[in-house]
Amino acid sequence: MADHPKTDLVPYLRGELAPADRARVARHLEGCPECREDAAALHGLIETLGRSVPPPPAIHWGRWRAELTARRDARRGRHAWWWRPVPLALSASLAGALLVLVVLGGPGTPTGNDLAVVEQTLLGRRLELLRQLSVVERLELLEDLDIIRQLDRLAAASEG
Amino acid sequence: MENSDEALCRRVAERDEAAFDLLVERYRERAWRLAWSILRDAEAARDVSQDAFIRLYEAAGSFAGRARFSTWFYRLLVNRCLDHRRRNRWWRLWARDEGEAPGGETLLERQPAPAYDPGDALSREQAVSALWAAVDRLPPRQRAVVTLQAQEELSTAEIADVLKCSQATVRVHLHRALKTLRRTLEKR
Ligand SMILES: [Zn+2]
Repeated sequence: MADHPKTDLVPYLRGELAPADRARVARHLEGCPECREDAAALHGLIETLGRSVPPPPAIHWGRWRAELTARRDARRGRHAWWWRPVPLALSASLAGALLVLVVLGGPGTPTGNDLAVVEQTLLGRRLELLRQLSVVERLELLEDLDIIRQLDRLAAASEG
Repeated sequence: MENSDEALCRRVAERDEAAFDLLVERYRERAWRLAWSILRDAEAARDVSQDAFIRLYEAAGSFAGRARFSTWFYRLLVNRCLDHRRRNRWWRLWARDEGEAPGGETLLERQPAPAYDPGDALSREQAVSALWAAVDRLPPRQRAVVTLQAQEELSTAEIADVLKCSQATVRVHLHRALKTLRRTLEKR
């Protein structure tokens, strides 16, 4: 028998065929033992697959959610950088200016220890950001770190 | 306030964080299960399932509301599963978590150890293990079709919608996949 309706068998078994197609496949099955056998085997296979889906491995949802948030924030940060380059450059210079104030000026002269704490905090914040941002931003932040190192040398020189 | 998936998605388009959280809560298990079923790699599935939600957040405005939200979201997810090898891997290298076991185990290793009970139960269990190991070896699109059909119980029309192909194509994928699976079982 020509034209066995092979790819129609699963939709037929799942009741997805239009009435005319359904009737055509049913007629064919009546006269074709080969397709009847196929249909029976497919029926068993579909049933077995449906009943035995292996469960996925367990997952720590808290960690998964935190990663999702971090990745989404990093992407938003990146978009902000591409779309608003001037404000970011401005905020970077402001941060730089603030740093100069903290290191060189401010009320009273900070001791070496205070300086180290301030630097560690600033560096820590930058490194935290660094973890979340993409390569382009990393370059810019590395420039910030370079500024910090320059200021470090400046402070050492003024102390010495 | 209406809390259907579709209504929540429209709120996400207006940058409603609470609506996003609700959709994540509703769909994260499905996303994880489906990504893992198609990719069979825990780390890749983790990456792709998160990716789908990021895309959902960014593209919520383009959800036209004609399709069901679930179909639209499955499409985001399955496309990412099928593309994942081509994508930039920087994030995974950057954020790799040493505390977590790698997801390289095979399906057979994940199956519960068969009880020492010779007879029907054991041979049936072995047959099921062999069946899913064979699903693992199917080409990705065929595996996606089998998974969407058997696991998510989507109709042919819905699978066609998710994969953006014709129903005839879905039928061909499914036919080929089931033919392969049947051969695997018959060879045993
Ligand atoms: Zn026939």
